[in-house]
Amino acid sequence: MVVAPAVALSGDASRREACVSDDPRDLGWVRQNIPCQTACPAGTNVPAYIRSIVEEQYGASYEINREANVLPGVLGRICSRPCEAKCRHGWPGNGEAVAICHLKRVAADLKDASHRITERLYSPTGKRVAIVGAGPAGVSAAHDLSLFGHDVVMYEREERPGGMLSYGIPEFRLPRDLLQTELHNVLRLGVQLRTGVAVGNAPGQTPVSKLLAEFDAVLLATGCVHPAPLPLKGEWENADLKDVKGIEYGLDFLVEMHRGVNKTVGRRVAVLGAGFTALDCARVAVRLGAEEVTIHLRTGEEYIPVAPEEIFECKREGIRIKGLRSPMGLQVDASGQLTGVEFAVNRLGGWRESGRRIAIPIEGSEFIEPCDTVIVAIGQQTFNGFSDVPLEVDRWKNVRLGSDGMTSHQGLFAAGDYVSGASTAVQAVGHGREIARRMDAWLMGRERRRQVVRIEPVDLPLRERADDFIPRQHMPTRGLGERKQSMACEVETGYDRQLAREEAKRCYLCNLRYQIDVDRCVYCRACIEVAPRNCIKLVGGVEIGADGSYGKLIETKEWNKVGAIWIDNNECIRCGACFNVCPVKCISISRCELTEVEVGP
Amino acid sequence: MSDARHHVIIGSGVAGNQAAETLRARDPDSRITMVTVSRLPFFNRYDLPRVFRGERDWRRFVIYPAEYYRRNRIALRRATKVVAVDSINQTLTLQHKETIHFDTLLVASGARSYLPEELSEYRPLLLGFGAFHEAVQVAETLPKRGHVIMLGGDTIGLDLARTLIELRHRVTLLADDYTFWPHEVSEADRPRYIAALRNMGFEVIEAKERGSLAAVSQGAPGLPARRLVFKDGSELHGDVVMPFFGNVPILDFMIGSGVDIERGLLVRPDLRTTHENIYAAGDNCQIWTDSVRRYCFYHGWKNVRAMGELAARNITGANEAWTPQHDESLRLTADGKILSPFWEYQ
Repeated sequence: MVVAPAVALSGDASRREACVSDDPRDLGWVRQNIPCQTACPAGTNVPAYIRSIVEEQYGASYEINREANVLPGVLGRICSRPCEAKCRHGWPGNGEAVAICHLKRVAADLKDASHRITERLYSPTGKRVAIVGAGPAGVSAAHDLSLFGHDVVMYEREERPGGMLSYGIPEFRLPRDLLQTELHNVLRLGVQLRTGVAVGNAPGQTPVSKLLAEFDAVLLATGCVHPAPLPLKGEWENADLKDVKGIEYGLDFLVEMHRGVNKTVGRRVAVLGAGFTALDCARVAVRLGAEEVTIHLRTGEEYIPVAPEEIFECKREGIRIKGLRSPMGLQVDASGQLTGVEFAVNRLGGWRESGRRIAIPIEGSEFIEPCDTVIVAIGQQTFNGFSDVPLEVDRWKNVRLGSDGMTSHQGLFAAGDYVSGASTAVQAVGHGREIARRMDAWLMGRERRRQVVRIEPVDLPLRERADDFIPRQHMPTRGLGERKQSMACEVETGYDRQLAREEAKRCYLCNLRYQIDVDRCVYCRACIEVAPRNCIKLVGGVEIGADGSYGKLIETKEWNKVGAIWIDNNECIRCGACFNVCPVKCISISRCELTEVEVGP
Repeated sequence: MSDARHHVIIGSGVAGNQAAETLRARDPDSRITMVTVSRLPFFNRYDLPRVFRGERDWRRFVIYPAEYYRRNRIALRRATKVVAVDSINQTLTLQHKETIHFDTLLVASGARSYLPEELSEYRPLLLGFGAFHEAVQVAETLPKRGHVIMLGGDTIGLDLARTLIELRHRVTLLADDYTFWPHEVSEADRPRYIAALRNMGFEVIEAKERGSLAAVSQGAPGLPARRLVFKDGSELHGDVVMPFFGNVPILDFMIGSGVDIERGLLVRPDLRTTHENIYAAGDNCQIWTDSVRRYCFYHGWKNVRAMGELAARNITGANEAWTPQHDESLRLTADGKILSPFWEYQ
């Protein structure tokens, strides 16, 4: 760590025209100061699209989303929202996170019916790419590879594209017409979609080796859909549960239902699992007529990776959630019909590397919960058996990738859950995009785009202090009677313009950088006095990170050691109070956004 | 700076006050701070039905006057909301951004009335009974000989209903799984207890018989103020609708504190949480109970008071384990009435 004297960044206070910068301090500033964008696996420019909603420019907001993610309307409904977990508005003392996901949906839903999508196409390259799997990772990669000018053919074993978006998420959370529209927007770029074509080793299937021979590159994006077995103990350990009547595996249950199979459940349903699939299965069970549906957790509600709003909606539909229990065995009657699940009470242990809580069953605490249907939704595993090309895998049997995104076989790439194991749609979209870029670099022999920061002066604060006190706007939902009438009745109805604008105004616009021109500052302390947080600091220096970006500020209270009066943009909530009060107008605002520029040959 | 330990208590109910009293006795030199979101000092919640007898002066419900806290050197901070607890730095943050350091923390924040999520959209049409001002609001809304529709019917609600019936109000209980909460009445015993409620003057409707509640709305002009519609299409009209579905712990400020939570704070038999210097007592904690091999809630003011005392004893070095000392079972009297041990407060 190097300590440097405090000096203004490259986007200095006196600059009045827009510029782009590849200075690591600027790139580091964006990474550190726009937590939502950094947390988004697709790298969505969240403040920019929310600002467009304040301006009621919904089409522009949609386009900003589409630059990072080709499925804004979809993810505006079903995203796992890692951005909201990091939102500065949700930091201690700041209130609740901005409803970033709901606002993404606003961009998709409220844009003009005649909105025209913008795509910036490269010239055709003559290269051909095959993509196996038309789920979120495959579709995202197909889009970007098409933009790069490659001819893309997507192979999908199911009848419809979308992968788990089509088959794993119930319609009451994700309307299929919207999904098909956004998928079709990708296909319109010239992507060939071959549905009902299974890639694999079985007779009648297309081997991976054949694709490798026919195409310049192949991308495997087959997802992670094989259910993890239920780890029971005692007589049930490693038992084959096929013959037990009343057991379903969560994702299979949903996939079969979306393939058109007439699924039924018993009167009393127990769902084992803690993710979105578990909650979806429970809500489907309610709609299929179950009288009592309970989700059983190993830990507690606080520790499960699901948005609190989803948990609330589950409970509203009458679903119970019970924590601190691990399934140990099953109770089955003479006819093989399930009659209950044996659980053990858990205590909480430490934390896994993944950030999840560990639960430890307590010996001798076993008890039975009666039920006639169990839906096991404890996760999925990757399946590699379909490939006739041997691939290196890690200890979880996920395929290994090199830094170029390629598997151990030349020309064969992989993306999404097939690489990472079961993750989320937004992670799949982000990874698909990242691998597409690496595939392009490999196909073309060089990177054709690189990331820079666009810095643009802004004349005035774009917010008012009063905006900080607007409460988070709740997503309107349909009444219980209405939502249970049909599996396709979307529960969340979306913000209207007024709600959208109120919520959008809450965004701090963290992409705005406030800076003090030290040469013009008269050290009157007016900005310090008016600041609502401890965001303006007297500093003697600043640490420089290994990558050249700025690190921690070194504060001082000794005047002879003060190098600068500095706005700590990490603490700053962009209220503009300092800007408004400054008597010598030495505070400037600039908008800093990641963008891409062409790299010459 | 004094070396005295700083004991902070969140909550000023039965557990918190009992703990403060015990702490003062066992650690005379310590600093004690009690933080409560309530505007009123410690008052007797079980006395709230008196509001319906015309008593509206809050001072008559207060158990300890301000002088008590001054005399015992307990800094009582009313109308003060804790928003976060940092177990590593041993601080708690108040809503107005103040930070308080503690040497030991007792979380005795209690519980609030639970409203099932499926009824949440009707919240504006329902009246609660958890705080003094809510009791006053119900009393002022209810006309003379008015009709109260009680949903669920937990022990607190049934206690209120006894007073209302005595005052010649009409009480209709919409009985369901929450009726008698936290007492557990077996399916076999339930008809006898429901009959006893009727004997006590309740009108009882088993919610399931009407297919459960479908909607709550405002009554039409000329009819009582509230209208309930059931799934079988039948209706019920009343002046006031009150939910009594038991309690849920008040622990929002503990989320992310690093202390283990399931529904309540998970505590060992000595009432210590997963953090060495943080304890919990009252309706907000689940105590590991070896005899049944699970974490259990213990309700009722006697249990809560015993927990407050035990936590304070252990904070001051006693190292004693919780043993429930009170019979929590519901009783039927010889004249066919119900008596809950939770109603026998003093």
